[in-house]
Amino acid sequence: MIEIRFHGRGGQGAVVASELLAQAAFLDGKQPQSFPFFGVERRGAPVTAYTRVDERPVGLRTSITAPDAVVVFDPGLLASESVTDGLRSNGLLLVNTPRPPESLAAPPGVRRAAVDATRIALSHHLGTPMLPIVNTAVLGALARATGVVSLESLRRAVEQFVPARPEENRRAASDGYSEVRAVEGTGSATVSGPKARPPAPRLPEGPIASVSSETIHTSAWRTFTPVIHLDRCTKCNFCWKFCPDAAIEFDANGYPVLRLAYCKGCGICAAECPPKTIEMVAGA
Amino acid sequence: MAKLTIPAQELMWGGHSACPGCGPALAMRLLLKGLGPRTLVSIPASCWTVIATPYPTTALRVGVLDNAIEATGASISGLRAAADALGLENVNIVGFAGDGGTADIGLQALSGMLERRTNAIYVMYDNEAYMNTGIQRSGATPWGAWTTTTPVSAAVHGKPEPKKDIMGIVLAHRPAYAATLNPAFPEDFDQKVERARALVGPRFLHLFAPCPPGWKFDSSQTIALGRLATDTGVFPLYEVVDGRLRITRKTGGLKPVTEYLSAQGRFKHLSADDMAQIQAQVRTDWEHLQSREREDLGRVH
Repeated sequence: MIEIRFHGRGGQGAVVASELLAQAAFLDGKQPQSFPFFGVERRGAPVTAYTRVDERPVGLRTSITAPDAVVVFDPGLLASESVTDGLRSNGLLLVNTPRPPESLAAPPGVRRAAVDATRIALSHHLGTPMLPIVNTAVLGALARATGVVSLESLRRAVEQFVPARPEENRRAASDGYSEVRAVEGTGSATVSGPKARPPAPRLPEGPIASVSSETIHTSAWRTFTPVIHLDRCTKCNFCWKFCPDAAIEFDANGYPVLRLAYCKGCGICAAECPPKTIEMVAGA
Repeated sequence: MAKLTIPAQELMWGGHSACPGCGPALAMRLLLKGLGPRTLVSIPASCWTVIATPYPTTALRVGVLDNAIEATGASISGLRAAADALGLENVNIVGFAGDGGTADIGLQALSGMLERRTNAIYVMYDNEAYMNTGIQRSGATPWGAWTTTTPVSAAVHGKPEPKKDIMGIVLAHRPAYAATLNPAFPEDFDQKVERARALVGPRFLHLFAPCPPGWKFDSSQTIALGRLATDTGVFPLYEVVDGRLRITRKTGGLKPVTEYLSAQGRFKHLSADDMAQIQAQVRTDWEHLQSREREDLGRVH
């Protein structure tokens, strides 16, 4: 049995990817299973999904804690989520990133693979520039790096089950398949884990939730990051007024300052800035 | 410090778990700016339960009471009674509920709170469907809109029933104050919040709250879409003080509703006839609002 865990952000298509992989495995004559982690699904928020593939029917009904492969849809998740938890020492870490696989930190022995699925998705107009849908490109890369499904079955699954743009998605899967690069594991890598959450207050002495939400950083939700060109800023404050994430404050001279730890990259500030001094730049 | 047109104070923290471009998140931020720190907010099951309180965190610098979806009206009557019993003065008691939790499931409790003349502010943030559970239609979903429970087929063009007139229902209770607010117009929004805060008795605010994933538009367009909603007459801005209605944003002429409808994926299946039907209804409602304003102005005080 092969167990695969997907880590994505709401809207990127991680849950659909886990289902498509299962459909492709079924077309290969295997006995797959897939399901998402049931949590707070928010566009941009971290989500997890699972796929198991076996020759025989899968009786297990638990979430995957010791995966053979971990698929990460966004490199920003590497810092905020413990994506490699339980990953088998001979397993695979596949990340959607423009960087080379050698740059990925992974536990000792773990193979590393990288594919620039965001660029592939954008080149096929999948999703919006703010939220490219990278799942089919990532699946193509996964098929190549693991051999868990054939590219032909993956392309057929995409054609049958992807709700929009089947042809573009098929091409994205093929591009992911041909562009993925993998390297063997190292013996001495270190892995960055999540920051420790503040301890919860003891009950029932005070308010149940008294820790500021600003202990949670949402910068990993971004696909695009605002950059303010202050030379043209008129201090009109529109960006500050309209920010739904309270992510803009002012410096001593009254110019806007981004609090990027809390910016989710919605792009409202750039859209509303009257002199158009705010630019949305790709990447978190 | 820059010259600001709305209060500088921030009573909503960053790091909350709203979607990018969330209309309800911006609405809460603007609301608390106008209300200030001496505020208690009761939040029923809704998007805002999830936005505000991933345990053990809170996104609001004011007291929050989580309550059941049907109970917001009752809970703020209770909060006011408790504040009075404790001798707390100058405290804003606020219910902050979605359209489903207000116009459908919480309607009885809202009616009860208004009828008891509870000294509190009830806020309905209207994203026009049950968004937190996955875009199911509510009584506040407009005619023709796609939702997961009003799917589109050759025979069905989205929701077959019109949007419930929650302001009409509230005004029948003769509240001390009622108004429609749109975060795309922050100064008008803030003036209404501050006016509501200064009054005593049951007050109701109907907040327009665009939802990028539920209405299917890009997260950067939340404000642009909000402006279109008001400037096409789909969501007119007005207030009613002691039964007298005043339109607070008057436009020379309404923009065509197609500008508002075609900016959203949830309406993309509508035919030209469907849009003409919506346009006719919006025009009738707008004329009715204007004539009501003229009547109220002419009424002897």
